[in-house]
Parts: sequence; structure tokens; C-alpha cells
Amino acid sequence: MATVHLSKKAVTIPTTVRTLSSGVPVAPLVNLAARGGHDAHGHGHGASGPRSDTPARWAGGVSRTSSGFVSKTFQYSPVTGIHQKSLMHTSAVVRDAPQVPDFSKYEAKDPSTNRGLAYLMIGSLGLLSASAAKSTVTEFLATMSASADVLAMAKVELELSSIPEGKNVIIKWRGKPVFIRHRTQSEIEEARSTDWKSLRDPESDEARTKKPEWLVMLGVCTHLGCVPIGEAGDYGGWFCPCHGSHYDISGRIRKGPAPLNLEVPQYDINEVDNKMVIG
Amino acid sequence: MSALASTFYNALVKRNSVFVPVIFTGAFAFSVGFDIGITKLWDARNQGKQWKDIRAKYIEEE
Repeated sequence: MATVHLSKKAVTIPTTVRTLSSGVPVAPLVNLAARGGHDAHGHGHGASGPRSDTPARWAGGVSRTSSGFVSKTFQYSPVTGIHQKSLMHTSAVVRDAPQVPDFSKYEAKDPSTNRGLAYLMIGSLGLLSASAAKSTVTEFLATMSASADVLAMAKVELELSSIPEGKNVIIKWRGKPVFIRHRTQSEIEEARSTDWKSLRDPESDEARTKKPEWLVMLGVCTHLGCVPIGEAGDYGGWFCPCHGSHYDISGRIRKGPAPLNLEVPQYDINEVDNKMVIG
Repeated sequence: MSALASTFYNALVKRNSVFVPVIFTGAFAFSVGFDIGITKLWDARNQGKQWKDIRAKYIEEE
């Protein structure tokens, strides 16, 4: 039985097996970089290695191009004259990442100091902004309040020594009448001994007066806004003629349609000058 | 310096619940102090020109 022996055998064939129509031989597989063996393989050219008579690469050489072999020889004019020294060397320093500049000079020597400083700056800015915001809001709100001249007009000052005991004085304050009564001792006792918890608008006389002998109230009936008459009514205080509300000597509603006691405005008594400021 | 910065960070900044109130109370204190300081500066620059400085010349106390 016949056996087929496939064998691989290196065969050296001529490199030029084909010729172009121009007459140039085609050698497509020539390896110009191939070197000879390391041994002196028996045909007498001395030690192996690059041939000593081969011109250097810069002087020219043989290369294979698409149009065949090209042999080039470069000619250089000989360097004459002064050789200039290049003092600035341009060789790059070897770095890990050559594209990144060297920031090591700017790196923090101590990260915690940097962090503390950064947060101090953040906090200071926050503090200033909070302060500015607070000022803005308060200044804006202050524009809504009454101005100083209006407030000055809105106060009334009066001499207390000019009002004798047991007398009423009616003054005008912010367009409304204000009753001021210098109460006698018996009137004070009467006002304070009343069982105020059972009244329609329970309020103690102590809560309505700063000093017991001075009773200050807005002279506007809490029913429909008439001005009550002093020293009248069933309870010795004020009486509203419009619908018959009776107020006692502390200005509290006792009888009639009014729902609330006579209103007590803001006032201050200056003991030294014996003056009263309403408003 | 580093110890100071660390103390500052650990005491005030580390927790937001501390940092924000510190900022607000600081803002309050700052605004009060700023107000006082500016008023003092104003009074010093306008010494003798304001009503409270010359009031005694025009009002005799009874």
C-alpha cells in the first residue's frame, strides 16, 4: 500500500522568479534585514557580523520599494568652520507622566492646615452673608414701621399735677378721646373689691392700671364706638348714651350691649416729673 | 498651626449641626459688634457736631 509522505523541506529558490515587462526582476520576498549565521559558514569572509565595508545607514543604502530595488547614496558637504556648542540641552527629563507639569512645589505641606483654613474661609463667608441677610431683612421691615416724626406726633404728654383728685380729663390722642381719671381712695377700693371674675369681660383693676389712682382708657365705647359720658351710669363710672352701656369706675362693662371693657392704651407715668406719656 | 487647625475642624466644622449654629450665632455677634463699632467710629468722627454733644448748650435743666 502506498503511503504518502508529506515532508517539509526548506528549498532555496532564486529570488527572481519573475521579470516585469520593463525588465526589472521582481523579488517580492527578499528580506533585506536578514543576517547571516553566526558561524563562519565556510566560504571565507571572516568573522560574522555587520560587514565592515558596508556604508553606514546615513550614507545611503538599498531599499525595496514598489517599483523594485532602490539604491540611494546621500552626499553631505563636509562640515567646515566653527563648530558651535549648543549650551542649552534639550533632552527631556524622564518622568512618570511627561505631559503633566510638576506641581509638587504647590502641594500642601500639611493637609490639615489647608482644610482648617478652607473651612475657616467658608465659615467666615457664611457668617458675613448671614449677617448681611439679617440686616437686609430687618432694614426692609423697619421701612414698614412708622417713622420717627409720626411716632413723635403719636405721643401725648400731660402734667398729672394739673388734674385734681376725683376729676376726669379727656384728651385727644391719635384722633380718639382718652379718659384719664384721678381716682379717689374710695373709688380705688370700690374698683378693687369688685368680684371681677364674674364680669362679662373679666379683668382685674390691678391689670388695668399701672398706678391705682390713675385710670387711663380709650374713650370709645366697645359696642359701636360712641363716646361714653363720665361720672354717669349705674356703677359710678361711664355711661354710653347711644345704647346704654354702663361702665364701672375701672372702665369695665357691667350692663348694656357693649361686649368688652374700655380699652387701656399704652402709657407711662414719669414719677420724677409727675408726667404721663400716652402712646 | 496644624494642631490649631485640627482643633478648629474637629470642634466646629466636623458636624454640620454644630457648624451652622456656630455660623448663625457668629453672624448675630458680628452684626451687634459691627453696629457698635461703626456707631463709635461715627461718634468719634463727628465729635461736637451731634445734638447729644451740644444739647447742654441749649437746654438748661430746671
